[in-house]
Amino acid sequence: MAERESLEEIVLTRLVRLNASLQGIVTGLVAGLGVFIATNWLLLQGGDVVGPHLALLGQFFIGYEVNFVGSLIGLAYGFATGFLVGYSVSHIYNWIAERRENKQKGRS
Amino acid sequence: MDQQKASEKQIIIIGAGPAGLTAGYELAKLNHRPILLEKDDQVGGLARTESYKGFYFDMGGHRFFTKVEEVKKMWQEILGQDFLRRPRLSRIFYNGKFFDYPLKPVNALFGLGFWESIRIALSYLRWQLSPYRHEESFEQWVTNRFGKRLFEIFFKSYTEKVWGISCAELKAEWAAQRIKDLSLKTVLLSMFIKPKKTIKTLIDQFDYPRRGPGMMWNAVKERIERHGGEVRMNAGVIGIHRNSNGIESVVVGCNGNKETIRGTHFISSMPVTEFIKRLDPPAPPAVLHAAEKLNYRDFLTVCLIVNKPDLFPDNWIYVHDPDVKVGRIQNFKNWSLDMVPDPTKTSLGLEYFCTEGDTLWNMSDDDLVSLGRRELDRIGLTSASDIEDGCVFRVPKAYPIYDSEYRDYLTIMKEFVAGLPNYQTVGRNGLHRYNNQDHAMFTGMLAVRNMMFGEKNDLWSVNTDSEYLEEIHDNVDCEPAVNTVKEAFAQVFSKLDRVAFGLSIGTVCGILLFLATLVLVLKGGDVLGPRLELLENYFPGYSVTPSGSLLGLGYGFFSGFIGGWCFAFLRNTSAFLYMALLHRRAEHQLLRKLLEYV
Repeated sequence: MAERESLEEIVLTRLVRLNASLQGIVTGLVAGLGVFIATNWLLLQGGDVVGPHLALLGQFFIGYEVNFVGSLIGLAYGFATGFLVGYSVSHIYNWIAERRENKQKGRS
Repeated sequence: MDQQKASEKQIIIIGAGPAGLTAGYELAKLNHRPILLEKDDQVGGLARTESYKGFYFDMGGHRFFTKVEEVKKMWQEILGQDFLRRPRLSRIFYNGKFFDYPLKPVNALFGLGFWESIRIALSYLRWQLSPYRHEESFEQWVTNRFGKRLFEIFFKSYTEKVWGISCAELKAEWAAQRIKDLSLKTVLLSMFIKPKKTIKTLIDQFDYPRRGPGMMWNAVKERIERHGGEVRMNAGVIGIHRNSNGIESVVVGCNGNKETIRGTHFISSMPVTEFIKRLDPPAPPAVLHAAEKLNYRDFLTVCLIVNKPDLFPDNWIYVHDPDVKVGRIQNFKNWSLDMVPDPTKTSLGLEYFCTEGDTLWNMSDDDLVSLGRRELDRIGLTSASDIEDGCVFRVPKAYPIYDSEYRDYLTIMKEFVAGLPNYQTVGRNGLHRYNNQDHAMFTGMLAVRNMMFGEKNDLWSVNTDSEYLEEIHDNVDCEPAVNTVKEAFAQVFSKLDRVAFGLSIGTVCGILLFLATLVLVLKGGDVLGPRLELLENYFPGYSVTPSGSLLGLGYGFFSGFIGGWCFAFLRNTSAFLYMALLHRRAEHQLLRKLLEYV
């Protein structure tokens, strides 16, 4: 940070940069826990056929089922997918933001 | 510095107030023998201590509180054990009740009563919903922030007493300037960094000489004289001779006699306007005109001796009652017990703000004592019969006035003074700045450094406008943490690029939908992805087919872009609103302290 640049200037002119790893971990945790909780919620509710719609995730997450072991597998799959999504979004965002900021600087 | 070198310089200091005496003291420590010229019969200038029948009266009440280490060191060096740590209490007295200062909402509302509180709340709401469109006057400026009712109770009467003009005439910029240093950094940091305990202690307490500031300045005078310097009392400077090299000599009027004193170097704390007017040959007309245009506010203190051991616990109180003229009341016993010779009595200083030559200023001392007696009785602090004696002290040019034109005129004078190489102007009136005692002293120190060591300190830049913010700044003065936190704030509060975020979310969404569709197509089966195909309800034409996956890519990108863009927009808006809210809160917090600055 430039010594003389005030916080006002920074806040008003700079674009925020996302930390890709951090974003990946956060999104991964949210997605993983989401699948884990959703699966266990259905298990606790019980019934004749447990979670027929959520079970469709098995089409993408090989080995995933609506049972407790499946919830753990779903946690791992959810985390991995979420991490990839968060990481990719941040990387793409930072790349575009960098280019747009440079372009703007070049103009001014 | 050896004696011979010291003797090469003949240094004249005009004014034996805090700035002049400090300069003299610093010079004496360097083995110089300055000559100090003081027009009054005692030293201390605006920070002098008057005495009457053994009672000491501090003109204005001077807290010894500074962030300038050199000044702090000098205070301790001079006063030693006579430097007391005193608790601070100052409240607003209105309608027979005391209100905390700075204003605290709960205390104010309890003190004002239920109906008045309702009025204040309604007035606040009314002015929040429909504020003045243009804030031209101080009245409009404060009303827009606190409502009309609160303005009338806590700002109007006191401000008008101090400055002598209606709040409707006082410019809004005057108040706006007071909070101009309220930076985003300060606002944000103050929300997250805990105040330093030591600083907080200094806000609640202050140091004070056992017998008032005069005790300090008399001690400094003695030390200067002990080192061979000279402090001439009743020696007003009535003429100042200049030549092409700067100032040559000053003419001193003392007991009807005139004496010319030559010097090689000059430091002056006399009002810069007076200095300009006394020059010979005269200053250029534009400079003289500028000197005519700078104004001051004066005050007088009606000192009363009350035959009661205790009246109220405050060091001073602000009197907001519009029915009385008194603006502030000092209770000197609460500054130091040694200010009062008899513990069964109390001494008060009733401060009346006025302008030299106006009705109040010209009233006789007896009339002023009677006025003080009546007003004290009227507001109910003590009954007139308890007041056994009184006297009056007048303090001319106590406050330099910052009117709308002063800056331009001061610039003209600054430029002229800069052309006098052997002359430096110091102190509150020498610089026409709202400096406190410590800053005035610091200008004296810097002037000596400029003169003796060739430093290039800009005395005009030592000011207390920022001092007004000292407490809020102190609260966040944790330097090692500040930069880290500032970095973090810059990260958190910087804008999220809407387009970039939209594009990134769009790209990822598009690819995910593309891959999800393709996976199902590749897995095959009689019915491909019946659930995923439901997306067709939103994405017309989409199907779980190879071509549908491409369409899904487009749809995913498009909807992801809109979602990301909206998210970034809302995130930026909420961050901005949050910052605005914090700023507003800090502004209010600061404004509650406005009276002290007033």
